[in-house]
Formats: sequence, C-alpha cells, structure tokens
Amino acid sequence: MSSALSRALRPTVIAAVAGLVVMLVIPFYAEPFLLQAGLFAMAAAIGAIGLNLLTGSTGQLSMGHAFFLAVGAYGYVYFAGDSGHELSGLGLPTPLAAVLAVVLAGLAGGLFSPIAGRLRGTYLGIASLALIFIGQHILHNAHAITGGANGRDVPPLELAGFSFADTPELVVFQVPLRALEKLWFLALLLLLAAAWVARGILRGRPGRAMGTIRDHEIAAGVMGVPVARYRAGVFVLSSMYAGLAGVLLAMAFRRTVPDYFGIILSLEYLAMIVIGGLGSVAGAVAGAAFVSLLPPLFTRYGDGLPLIAAPGAEGVSPAEASRILYGAAVVAVVLFFPGGLLGVWGRVRASLAARRTSHPLTRMEPEEQPT
Amino acid sequence: MKSTLRMTAVTAVALALAAGAAGCASDKATGGSGGAGADGVKQGPGVTDKTIKLGVATDLTGVYAPLGKSLTQSQQLYFEQTNAAGGVCGRKIETVVRDHGYDPQKAVSIYSELSTSVLAIPQFLGSPMVTAVKQRIESDKMFTIPSAWSTTLLGSEPIQVTGTTYDVDMINGIEWLLSKKLIKKGDKLGHVYFEGDYGGSALRGAKFAADKHGLTIVEQKIKATDNDMGPQVAALSKAKVAAILMSAGPRQSASLAGIARSQGMKQPILGSNSAFSPQLLATPAKPALVEGFFFTSAGAPISADLPEVKKLADAYAKKYPGQPMDSAVVSGYGNGAIVVSALKKACEAKDLTREGLIKAHRSDANADTGLGTPMNFTYFDKPATRKTYVLQPKDKIPGGAVIVQEATESELATTYQPPVGSY
Repeated sequence: MSSALSRALRPTVIAAVAGLVVMLVIPFYAEPFLLQAGLFAMAAAIGAIGLNLLTGSTGQLSMGHAFFLAVGAYGYVYFAGDSGHELSGLGLPTPLAAVLAVVLAGLAGGLFSPIAGRLRGTYLGIASLALIFIGQHILHNAHAITGGANGRDVPPLELAGFSFADTPELVVFQVPLRALEKLWFLALLLLLAAAWVARGILRGRPGRAMGTIRDHEIAAGVMGVPVARYRAGVFVLSSMYAGLAGVLLAMAFRRTVPDYFGIILSLEYLAMIVIGGLGSVAGAVAGAAFVSLLPPLFTRYGDGLPLIAAPGAEGVSPAEASRILYGAAVVAVVLFFPGGLLGVWGRVRASLAARRTSHPLTRMEPEEQPT
Repeated sequence: MKSTLRMTAVTAVALALAAGAAGCASDKATGGSGGAGADGVKQGPGVTDKTIKLGVATDLTGVYAPLGKSLTQSQQLYFEQTNAAGGVCGRKIETVVRDHGYDPQKAVSIYSELSTSVLAIPQFLGSPMVTAVKQRIESDKMFTIPSAWSTTLLGSEPIQVTGTTYDVDMINGIEWLLSKKLIKKGDKLGHVYFEGDYGGSALRGAKFAADKHGLTIVEQKIKATDNDMGPQVAALSKAKVAAILMSAGPRQSASLAGIARSQGMKQPILGSNSAFSPQLLATPAKPALVEGFFFTSAGAPISADLPEVKKLADAYAKKYPGQPMDSAVVSGYGNGAIVVSALKKACEAKDLTREGLIKAHRSDANADTGLGTPMNFTYFDKPATRKTYVLQPKDKIPGGAVIVQEATESELATTYQPPVGSY
C-alpha cells in the first residue's frame, strides 16, 4: 500500500495531474483569443504526432501532410454538410462524418502507399510534394464538394444532442461555455487519446520495427521485418492522424479555405517535429505548441515588447518579429540541440540527476583512514 | 491493469481539482457586462466611459501590404482628427491594429481576440479572411467593413460592403467602352481574371454585359501566383479580341500591358479597381500603362476635384510625408467616416452596443462623406451604390490616376441583380 502511495506521488504523476488540471481549467478563465490559439495548437499536435511516427520514427520524409489535413477537413465538411444550390453534401450525422473523414484520409494514404512503401527517405519527400499540388488543384476546382477558392462553412459537431456550437450556451460554474470552450475539451480528449495510441505503438513491437527500418533497412529486413509493408502501414497511420487533425482544424476554423492547406503548412509540420524532437510523442506536442502559438502570441502581445513597432508604424512589426524568432529557433535547434526541445529537457534532467546522485569520493571517512 | 487504475485515479483527481478551481471567480462568469455608462449610454464590448475601441484586421506583411498600410494610416488619421475634435459621445476612439498577413488562420485568431475587445471593425482586409469568420461576425453582430468588394460578402446585416461590387464595376466599364466606341456589338472581349471570388465576381458582371450587347467573352483564368502574362497575351492575340478586361493584381496588369504593347497589340485594356496601383508607374511598364489602359473604381481617386478629398490629400501628405497616396487612402478614410457617423447616431439613441450601432448604421439611406458617391446603407443584399468612376493612370500626379469619366451608373447596371453570398 505504501509503495502504491509513493508511486502515486512520483514527480511525473504529480506533473501529469497538474498539467491536466491546468488544461481543464483554462477554458473557464482564458479569453477567446487564447482558446482559439490553443485549439489550433492541439489540432496541430495531433497532426504532428502522426508526422513524427512517419518521419521521426520510421525515417520517411513526407511533404504531403497538408494534403491529408485537407482530406480530413473537407471530408468532414462534405460528409456532414447539406446539399445547397451550388454545393453538395451527404448530410450524415456529424460524429459519423468525423469518423468517415479520418477513414477517408487513411484511404487516401492507402492509395499512395504503393509509392510510400517503395520509396525511401527524401525520395518519398519529393514524391509526396506532388500531393500538395494535386490537392490545391482539386480544392480550387471541385466546386460542388469544396466550395472552390472561397471554401465552405463547417457544420458544428453534434454528439448525442450536445452541440459544439455557440448556441445554445452551456453554463457551468456560471461560466457560459460557447463553441471554443466546448471544442477545447473535445480537442484535449482527442489529443490525449492520439498521444496514448502513438505511445503504445512506439513502445511496442511495431515501434522497434519502425526504428530499425529508419536506422538500418537491410538489418530490419534480415530480422524479418516486412519493410515495404511497414512503410506503407505507417504512411496510412500518419495520414489518419492528419485526417483527425484536419477535422479538428475545420471545427476550430468553422470555415475551410483551400489556401491554408498549401506547402507552407507541410513545412510548418516538419518544423514542429524538428523543433520539438524527432521520434517521440512529447516532442511532437511540444513542437506543435511552439510553432503554432508563437505567431499569434506575438501578434497579440507584441505591443509591449521592446524593439517592436506598433502595426502600421515604421520598424519591425510583430508579425515579422515572430517570423524572425521562428526562423532563429529552427536554426538554433538544428545547430545546438539535435534532440529538439525534448532533447533540451532530457539534458537538463540528466545533469540534474547527475548532480543529485554523484558524490565523488575524494577522501576516506575518518574511521576508514588507515591508522 | 495497475497502470489503468493509476490513470483513472490521476484523471479523477485532476477532474476534482479542475472543478474546484473553475468554481472560483472567473472574469468570464456571467452577469458582468452589458451595463450602461455614467452618461446613461448603453455600452457594448470595447466601450467604456472614456474610450471606444475599434479593431483593424489588415495585411501589413503579406501580398496586399502596400494597400493595407495606406488603409490603416488614413484610417488612423481620421480617428486622430475625430479625437482632436472631441471624440464621439465624449469618448476617444482607440484602434487595435492587427496584422494577418493575408493568412486565413491568423485572421481567425485575430478575430477571436477582437470579438471580445472591440465594438466594431472598420477595416477587415481580404474577402477570404472575412468569409472565414463571416458566420461568427453574424452571431457576434460585429459591425464590419471589409476592404474587399466581392458579392460573396453581400447579404449579411453586420457586414457593410462599401461602394460597388466588382461585377457592377465591370458592367459600367463595358458600357463605357461601348459609349466611347472603343468596342462595338459582336466584338470579342478577352477577360484575364484571378480564380476565386474577386475574379469570379468580375467575370459574372462581364458575362452579363456581354450577353445584353451580343459580345463574346474569351476567358483566361489565372492564379494569384502567375506573374508572366505571356501565354494569356498570345491566346488573346490569336482570338483577335477587341479589348482586354483585367481582374487580377497590379503585377499581372503590368505584365499584360507591357507584353501586349510590345507585340503591337493596340486594344484598350480595362482593369478592375484592384488591377492598378500607383507604384506601377515607377516600373518599366509605365509607357504601356499611361496609354490605352483604364480601370474602374467606386471610390474617387486622390486627385479628384472634391474639397474633402483635397483636404485629405493635404493632411495625409503632412502626416505621412513621402508615402504613396493610392486610392486606398480615400477608401480607408471614408470607411472611418462611415463608422464614426454610425457611432454618433448610436450615441444620440443612447445605445453604443453592437446591436445599437448596426441599427444606427442601417438607418442611413443617403450617406455622403464628401469623398465620392453617396451610399445607401438601409439594405445589405445589394451594393450600396452602382456608380463607377473610370480612371486612367497618369504620371506625376498624386495617386497616379486621373478621372476619365465621373461616377456614372449605366442603365444596364441598374437592371442587374447581383448574386448574394456567392459569385
């Protein structure tokens, strides 16, 4: 019993409880701006976890992540949306539409898997680049499904009579919960589930196989890992993660716009996993938070910082400053912290632990002194 | 099994703590806002006894940065002048300027911030950005003036599209070409346009006019990233068009005019209002633009012979010396005036809430800022005016353009029914 109690009071467990408490309390206090930014960050974290499985753990570079995000987002809108005079939609129940959108993203990944299974590393990166351009063309021209360059409204999720929209407001502890607050809880739940699944995969047999494929493909083959099948499988899985992130993004946006799902978005996801730390779930989450929170926070609170001019005045604007900082962060991580943000944390922890445990024995205790 | 138990315990403890913390006083708890000021005026978000906060969501770092800068500066000039004259309702106007860099996601974040902190948005640049938050603008009843003129933004009570829409401009423009005998019935017209609602709106207007006059439109759809108009010029030359319509960006106009003239094509080119910017006159495309190139605009150019515009030009040159004076200066200033006039009316009704502001604004059937065409704000499913100026680029003139035809409403434009909420 006492060992169970001491285990329950371990620092990591306490930190997990504290983190969860903070995340659960935020919607009751934070202004909509912070909630919106946090929602984008959580959606991005799910997508980044998926990309990290593919790129960080299996060593397969993908530039097509934005395409699968788009499939998820537009898939949800198409399945859940109603047919209008110029738009078509299936009008399915929204939870079913969300699940189908994720499956659709997985199918799209599956269609690409003959290529994903055969190509290695950077070659896959170049091949998947094509997906972005195909995606942009479809999004702009398949008017009936995507709404063209203008995009489409996203129907709010409705789960067993509970609507994730502004109205009706749900009042809890005298705080009115509108769409952003409700979506916050949903995103948190999905993020935890996504992280848990990814962690399970990485820590089990498939994770080890993926690591071997990344580090030594021939060795993996010799040890009986079906390399091509694994590569294709991970690609499908990562597409499904992207699809889920896309569904969440669509709900947070409330409007899907094709321009958003461009090459820049793919590069941002790569930046997330590089900055956060390749090959781990926590790294992907940390990187996603860094990359997606930095620009809005700078725009919002840039006025108070030195050297930054108010928007419209001469000088470095907040938007430019956030871009400069973002670029500097990528360069700094690549140069000095190959393990990303997570690597930094690991180093700090290791050095702390070393200081705590090592007592270099410089001389003998008095009773041990030879007489 | 053990780990599941622990997980459950962790979650339960976290939930209990969270519930406890959430129960504490929060600013968001209901019952705080919606009061009246010391002077008995009902106050909405962003309004206090001393200030009225207005939001500006613009582009200062993206593709429309020059436009956004002019709009923002001229608007700030207007609010400064208003404050110097005592403000509105005994309150000073404060602007919250945010830069979205023409990125819809940033615009959504910015709108989330503005939705709770400001009363109205006198400038929201870019129709993709505004459509991205259109639903929320409607549910928040946030009075918004978009700096975009596509028909997709019509049909929403809180959103005021100022001036004409692109399609109406094109109809008036084609009528003008016909009246000047630059084209005649049965001719072919080339139309180079951006995909999306800007080009789509303009094309719709062009097709409507072409239909009525027995003209044929030769369509050339381009992307915003296409900068070389060589293939389009070649195609239009082959089709033997009598004139070229241009609904794209300034860069595309320069390329199109330059290439067409160098190949000896002498057809007139007629652009939408976003197809020209005075900065083009500093480029090698200048000779091609000052001859046979025209563009339409609902707003008066800064060179217009109107007392209010002259006053603005002087004040702007004094406040921002050396800055280019494009048509956005007039448009930004005018939009500032529209919001301030609505605020004054709302103040008279002692209702500075969002609903009160929209009600005040929508009661104005003949709003004349002295900066161009008077507008009717009582409906929102039609453009506020159907009068279009035809302008021509000219060197060494403020704003780089002169009026060729004063604001005119063609008969065809009055019969035209613009699409609402689409293009």
